[in-house]
Amino acid sequence: MTQVGQESVLRLAPGCRLSEAGAREDLLLIPEGALRMQGPARKIVELLNGERSVREIVEELQHRYGTEDAARIETETLALLTRLRERGVLESV
Amino acid sequence: MKYEPKALIAEVTHRCPLHCVYCSNPLEMQRRSEELSTADWISIFQQAGEMGVLQLHLTGGEPLARTDIAELVKAGRAARLYINLITSGVGLDPGKLDALIDAGLDHIQLSFQDIEEGPANEFSGTRSHALKLRMAAMIRERRVGFTLNMVVHRSNLDRLEEMIAFAEQSGAQRVEIAHVQYYGWALKNREALLPTRAQVDRSIEIVEAARERLKGRLRIDFVLPDYYAKYPKPCMNGWGHQQMLIDPVGQVLPCHAAGVIPGLEFSSTREHPLRWIWEESPAINRFRDESWMPEPCKNCDRRTRDFGGCRCQAFLLTGDAAATDPVCTLAPSHKVIEDILGQVNGAKQNWVYRIDPI
Ligand code: SF4
Repeated sequence: MTQVGQESVLRLAPGCRLSEAGAREDLLLIPEGALRMQGPARKIVELLNGERSVREIVEELQHRYGTEDAARIETETLALLTRLRERGVLESV
Repeated sequence: MKYEPKALIAEVTHRCPLHCVYCSNPLEMQRRSEELSTADWISIFQQAGEMGVLQLHLTGGEPLARTDIAELVKAGRAARLYINLITSGVGLDPGKLDALIDAGLDHIQLSFQDIEEGPANEFSGTRSHALKLRMAAMIRERRVGFTLNMVVHRSNLDRLEEMIAFAEQSGAQRVEIAHVQYYGWALKNREALLPTRAQVDRSIEIVEAARERLKGRLRIDFVLPDYYAKYPKPCMNGWGHQQMLIDPVGQVLPCHAAGVIPGLEFSSTREHPLRWIWEESPAINRFRDESWMPEPCKNCDRRTRDFGGCRCQAFLLTGDAAATDPVCTLAPSHKVIEDILGQVNGAKQNWVYRIDPI
């Protein structure tokens, strides 16, 4: 149930949100504290709207960051989303 | 070394409709007539936000006892803080809950005293359990972070599995299972609250199994009773390192209990800017670095991990706030703990209930 695959549709769980734009650091605020959002992590989380599938998000990122790294973008996005899902920061829709 | 504050615990009032036998409030509580005003708190939240604080925990007493609570939530959000409300649920209704969520409340931590109504009401000294169940149902219907908090001790620990099962279907994302820590009112009731070693060991097994089973569905945070530990807890992650507590009248403390330590004067937000208090005030600096440490802490490798344990516990159990936490098996005073544990028995004690301030 907590597995994240290409067709998963995810969104932030209640009580979790990104720090507002302009905050001194990109953070994901959660009940226990905050997770640092490094590199493209913030962008990935921003794309989770409870409607897009993981596949669509990966395509969007590949489109944005260029396709030569397509495979890496896919594995890293899946890894991040899996970690966040296991931590209870994301929920499946 | 620079200490960056991450969390602010705001005890916005000591008033509370419950009388829990393990309340962490001080025995001497602050009166309503002396409480900070709405404007005072708003200024504090703004200062905290500017200092880089991320989280605001609104607690009490019962924070809902303040009629301006929604305004405080809104001000906290305006200061870019993550807002957590720590509540018994008493005083909540659908309208109020919606108002709090509209104001930007991120998260609610709802406390339960037990899973069975009789004992739950006994431990809180009120008939509040049934109401709490209704509050939990109300919260789960809304989109807000939701954690259940269950305080466990000798008289309810044998129902831990039922408590976790309740948490599982409550709609909460997290449950915090917290063994009582012996400060404030809990210290007065320690004889009746302290679990046996067998109970503690069993509770660890139950939590580990449940964590495995509920992975990704329900998070379980678990606080162990430090009397049974080998080394002390890294209390507050270090005195004046990451967290501060502001009491109802504006005194800034490093934790809930530090008011018991004689000779410390806590600076007030009524007289000083928060940044000065955090960086310069004598009380926040008193045990901040390692210069106060006695042997064996001074030369112990664990001192950067547990900071020599809890200063308040050291004072409460040895009379010296600058002693090694007696919970530590290396502490010269550790026998105090062994003696206390040696006396744990099933005898029933009369509870000392928390009294509400005027
Ligand atoms: S001796 Fe001091 S620093 Fe070492 S484990 Fe015990 S309390 Fe911690």
